[in-house]
Amino acid sequence: MKRKKETSKVDRRDFLKNTSVATFMAMMGGVELNLPAAAQEAKSAGGEAPLTKRPPFPPCRYGVIGAGVWGRKIISTLALLKNDDEFANTEVVAVCDHYAGWLNRAGDLVPKAEKFDDYRKLLAKPEVQAVIVATPTHLHRDIVLDALKAGKHVYCEAPLAHTIADAKDIARAAQSSFKLVFQAGLQERSHPHRHFLWPFIRTAALGRNVLVRAQWHKKESWARTASTPARTDELNWRLHQATSPGLMGEAGIQRLDAVTWFLGGPRSGGRPSAVTGFSSLILWNDGRDVPDTVQAVFEFPDGPNAGVRFLFDATLCNSFDSEYEMYYGTDSAILMQPGNEARDSKAWMFKEADAAMFGWEVYARKDSFGAESGISLVANASKQSALTDKGTAASAPPAVEPLQYALQAFTANISEIGGAARTYEENFGGEDTADFRANMAENRKRALTQYPAAGWEEGLEATVLAIKANEAALKKQKIELKNEFFEL
Amino acid sequence: MKKPNIARGPLWPAIGLLLAAGVSLRAAADLPMHYQAQSTNTSVAIQGTSTVHDWEMKGPIIGGFVDFPDGVNFDTNQATLPGLKDGLLPAGVTARITIRSIRSEADHLPEVMDRLMREAMKETNYPRIEYHVTELKLQQPHVAGQPFAFDAKGSLAIAGVTNKVAFPVTIVPLGKDKIIISGTAKLKMTDFKIDPPAPNFGLGLMKCGDDIKIVFQWTLMYVPPKQP
Repeated sequence: MKRKKETSKVDRRDFLKNTSVATFMAMMGGVELNLPAAAQEAKSAGGEAPLTKRPPFPPCRYGVIGAGVWGRKIISTLALLKNDDEFANTEVVAVCDHYAGWLNRAGDLVPKAEKFDDYRKLLAKPEVQAVIVATPTHLHRDIVLDALKAGKHVYCEAPLAHTIADAKDIARAAQSSFKLVFQAGLQERSHPHRHFLWPFIRTAALGRNVLVRAQWHKKESWARTASTPARTDELNWRLHQATSPGLMGEAGIQRLDAVTWFLGGPRSGGRPSAVTGFSSLILWNDGRDVPDTVQAVFEFPDGPNAGVRFLFDATLCNSFDSEYEMYYGTDSAILMQPGNEARDSKAWMFKEADAAMFGWEVYARKDSFGAESGISLVANASKQSALTDKGTAASAPPAVEPLQYALQAFTANISEIGGAARTYEENFGGEDTADFRANMAENRKRALTQYPAAGWEEGLEATVLAIKANEAALKKQKIELKNEFFEL
Repeated sequence: MKKPNIARGPLWPAIGLLLAAGVSLRAAADLPMHYQAQSTNTSVAIQGTSTVHDWEMKGPIIGGFVDFPDGVNFDTNQATLPGLKDGLLPAGVTARITIRSIRSEADHLPEVMDRLMREAMKETNYPRIEYHVTELKLQQPHVAGQPFAFDAKGSLAIAGVTNKVAFPVTIVPLGKDKIIISGTAKLKMTDFKIDPPAPNFGLGLMKCGDDIKIVFQWTLMYVPPKQP
């Protein structure tokens, strides 16, 4: 429905009250970069008040392939979606794992779901509309290709594959399945907080980009044990170079994706031109040939990021400070720490003393950050909704995991993109014509504007970056990142 | 418009099938000029009012087909139209609009508007609006150079309710083998047992008005009969 008339809902008294508080906050120091729950509900930059009830999406029936730790996490997250009226019709109707123990544990989570020990049997079920592929990385290719062939929408965990050839096969299949939704498991792409932070980076709040640093730190072995040697080997696919994309792929891919996205992506100078890597096996010397500590330095081509380097490090030997990304610019630095529970996953901005004020800072919240003071960025901070919010919104982002947003986006896009394909087929037949493809491209664009998600392009880009970074780390050398690595 | 009085018992699908078969037989025998809906140059807009603002939703797709008697040629430069019988143009029309192809163009929350509309129109059970023509009467006199204008009578099914409707349409040729049928149908939501939506946006109650207009432009292409 087209809105032809807008009226301001800001009360003068509220305006004065909130402005003065915000101004006082800003006089204290820095900015916290957070998206309050209420604003997130509204999901609109225009400061629209939230709808009290959103109509539900039509039923979406999922099959989950791979019932390991992550597969079961996906199953329970899908169950969580149902708490939201909008996604109340989401259902896991089938689970699959060739290992009976895990299949049973997954079955306990969703007792009504049918259990399969072979993914092909699951794909043969017409009631399964979409599958989520959560198997070990090196097993993705055949499952994804068969699933798309069977007409299922596919969510494929990241990295897409452990080799560039496999990743390209998956990307090609997803590209040609223009009637289906293919989503790569790059969860940050669907996170509202990310979409709130992105403009801060892309509108020169940093000044000129100088450096990005990101880390992923945990203390855990990655080693698994099972009752038989064969099963133990199978479980420990991460520990061997033949099957594992290493820490760069298994731990780093979300950071590599987020940082290169924020630096502009492949079309705006955000695709690195080279990566230099280092690696060592320091603590977990249990026969594995995958390092437990890696570093990579990405360089960027001439353009907006000329001279910028992105330093990433990951380790299984120390957990301090978990994960974060730090963007350094000539005017300010921005710290993002999704998943960093010790710091409430907050995002912060630290301005240089000589940096110009943009104006929005007066509305921003400021807190102490160790000995420093930082600006805690709040969504819609300079918009009317921030003024009407009466200061009740939580300053921390809502406790919703990125995976949940990604699965919400998948569900919404299945409804919108899958529905658009059915509509076209119904009226003009299902033949693969230029007109059908153009129609679907239009619908896809529209759906992704409303529910952003990583597609095969983003999945391939990040997977290639991770695989090449892993290769550079293993070889301890510099690899030029040629465009052909990324092209289909 | 009169209130509908259409039974929706279990017998109706069977009768519907028989009728459909009859229509297609007739179409093959008497109305051999078959025009098929095209995906280009077609638009449909639903326009309405509300207590807050006027609104509009748009779709790019009208499916279906139109059959005319042999020899019909929409050459607007001619003073008359071949194929007329007592001022009426025999025609078989099936027009279908898939509800989910109609979209909101609002600045805010268009995806929510779309779903509110689908909910109001009971899209899960009745995914299409369907129209059949019963009478197509040429408005006289036709002025050469102007579009052919007709008064169309027909039946319109929305959200499981079928009503008789009448509205004017125009037909103009497009290139050699295409025609464009345009028109505006004025309807009331309540005639189709649709409650005008009253979404709660947290800004007080907004209620849609009962009157709506369906404005359409439908492009069809002539499909020659298959040679045996």
